[in-house]
Amino acid sequence: MEMEMEMEMERKMKKKKGEAEAEAEAEAEVCFDENLLFEVLKHVDARTLAMAGCVNKQWQKTSQDERLWELICTKQWANTGCGEQQLRTVVLALGGFRRLYKLYLFPLSNPHTPPKHLRLGKDELHLSLSLFSTRYFEKMTFNHRTT
Amino acid sequence: MKRDHDDRCGVRGSGSGSSPSNGKAKMWEAEQQQGQGGGNDELLAALGYKVRSSDMADVAQKLEQLEMVMVSAQEEGISHLGSDTVHYDPTDLYSWVQTMLTELNPPQNHHNTILIQDENNNNNILIDDSEYDLRAIPGIAAYPPESQTNSKRQKASPMESGTVTVSEPTRPVVLVDSQETGVRLVHTLMACAEAVQQENLKLADALVKHVGLLAASQAGAMRKVASYFAQALVRRIYGIFPEEPHDSSFSDVLHMHFYESSPYLKFAHFTANQAILEAFATAGRVHVIDFGLKQGMQWPALMQALALRLGGPPIFRLTGIGPPQPDNTDALQQVGWKLAQLAETIGVRFEFRGFVCNSLADLDPDMLDIRPGEAVAVNSVFELHRMLARPGSVEKVLDTVKQIKPKIMTVVEQEANHNGPVFLDRFTEALHYYSSLFDSLEGSSSSSSTDDHLMSELYLGRQICNVVAYEGVERVERHETLAQWRARLGSAGFEPAHLGSNAFKQASTLLALFAGGDGYRVEENNGCLLLGWHTRPLIATSAWKLPSTTAES
Repeated sequence: MEMEMEMEMERKMKKKKGEAEAEAEAEAEVCFDENLLFEVLKHVDARTLAMAGCVNKQWQKTSQDERLWELICTKQWANTGCGEQQLRTVVLALGGFRRLYKLYLFPLSNPHTPPKHLRLGKDELHLSLSLFSTRYFEKMTFNHRTT
Repeated sequence: MKRDHDDRCGVRGSGSGSSPSNGKAKMWEAEQQQGQGGGNDELLAALGYKVRSSDMADVAQKLEQLEMVMVSAQEEGISHLGSDTVHYDPTDLYSWVQTMLTELNPPQNHHNTILIQDENNNNNILIDDSEYDLRAIPGIAAYPPESQTNSKRQKASPMESGTVTVSEPTRPVVLVDSQETGVRLVHTLMACAEAVQQENLKLADALVKHVGLLAASQAGAMRKVASYFAQALVRRIYGIFPEEPHDSSFSDVLHMHFYESSPYLKFAHFTANQAILEAFATAGRVHVIDFGLKQGMQWPALMQALALRLGGPPIFRLTGIGPPQPDNTDALQQVGWKLAQLAETIGVRFEFRGFVCNSLADLDPDMLDIRPGEAVAVNSVFELHRMLARPGSVEKVLDTVKQIKPKIMTVVEQEANHNGPVFLDRFTEALHYYSSLFDSLEGSSSSSSTDDHLMSELYLGRQICNVVAYEGVERVERHETLAQWRARLGSAGFEPAHLGSNAFKQASTLLALFAGGDGYRVEENNGCLLLGWHTRPLIATSAWKLPSTTAES
């Protein structure tokens, strides 16, 4: 799934780069406030957010902001079962919300999986976190191998 | 099934005996059987059928014809074959098939009339080794259903009585039907195991060699399972017992690959963790004792869950137990060090202690350094069954556990009875079990690398070898079912603690992530969770607590 998303992004990037940059140059006058972009992107879904990163470098930088992906991961339910700051600290330490989404939450919400998993709930988040932390640990093992 | 028809008619035939009952008995001429050495097909000979190698293609074709004719003749009934026709020596396939065909249809080629004269067999002994109802074996049940082949033949042969024509003359004759061979393979394995049980080692040796040949014609899971079982049987027959490899680092590597390539271990870890989390609730200091630390893969997820606990994480102590290393490297400490690093990353106060011992029965409560005021959990993933190899060990372990008064003990075990007193029963059980397990690895292999896959098979292969070839204290893979563990733990004084719906949901979600997740099933059984492949449960997670006395904080 990871690869799919990256490939899709790359393809769209190449397509849109041509048009978008031409447009952006034309509108160079307009000061494209990053904050404005950020505010807008707060309200889009995961797919749109990922695609937004294909428009140009500025959009890419903004769309990869962890805070936006944190929203994607957590906004679907009122209560994740843990404190906001807590979750943030742990997830950022383990690799960030964008990666968490890409690796586990995206496959779980993928329309190809059985319909019952289309909605991302607390269970999906907690399972993803378990897998995320295990993966981090595994990667650690690989890098820090001592004889 | 073709073979059933053969056997049924054959059995009835031999019942009519050597005296022709009425005028319908026919005499057939047979070319003199040259005895065993005269170019008979080896494979079939080992299973009790005499077919000359030169006749193989012909026999195969005739068997196909026979089946087609039988299928079409079913409305008229073929019971007359059983009572009226005399079958001499059904093990002589060539002649027997001629008999059958001619009975069902007027003969077209009279030059094929055969007289059976078997000088070797004075009595009509039918070597029927179909004592085992193979349809009951789940692994076989997972194969393509036979109705496909039968219906195909039915459609293809609009038979009219009186014509014996091969309906698909251009179809090449299949000499080795792999589904048929699959059944023969299982047959032979069972026959071999029975021979071993009866200490008929020469027969067992012959049979196991043929298992090898038959296995070569199979593909996929069946071949691998058969090979591992055959290997194990060879060891048992010849008494080859290589020193149990004490190199646990290789075992750990295999374990890791098995972890990656299938959901079983993840399922075990996540469901156990859920139970531990719930038992720890709001305790400020927690202590987990892991009976088999290995690479510590279970604990990052628990630590992360503790880190996210409302109110903040507790102080987390982990005692990891492992076997002694041959080269004195401290594997446990290395794992502990990595876990400590992770704990620091996510902000959990962590303390680790590694404990080396040969057997869990060597543990005493004071060795474990239980501090007052801490909530204790004991975790055992595939470790308890090893204690059954020595009498008294498992009782000692459970006693030790009771003395340290844990909030919860989580037990994950294989859901199978590989510890019965009779070898053949164990063998059969194991064949079913590992067939399902290998099937599931095949089914979900797309999501993992071939390395993982191969290593996982080797991991399981070692277990198979232990179950089949070893005895006494060396046979440590003494798996028992959930029901058996329930009884054992119950009588030791433990009460079941129900795994909640959270655990069930997590398990189901986990399976959704695995390609081939269609085949896996999670089921709940009186508060325990089982993960299986299709209809066969393969591992069980259960949680236990002591009857509530004064609760620890």
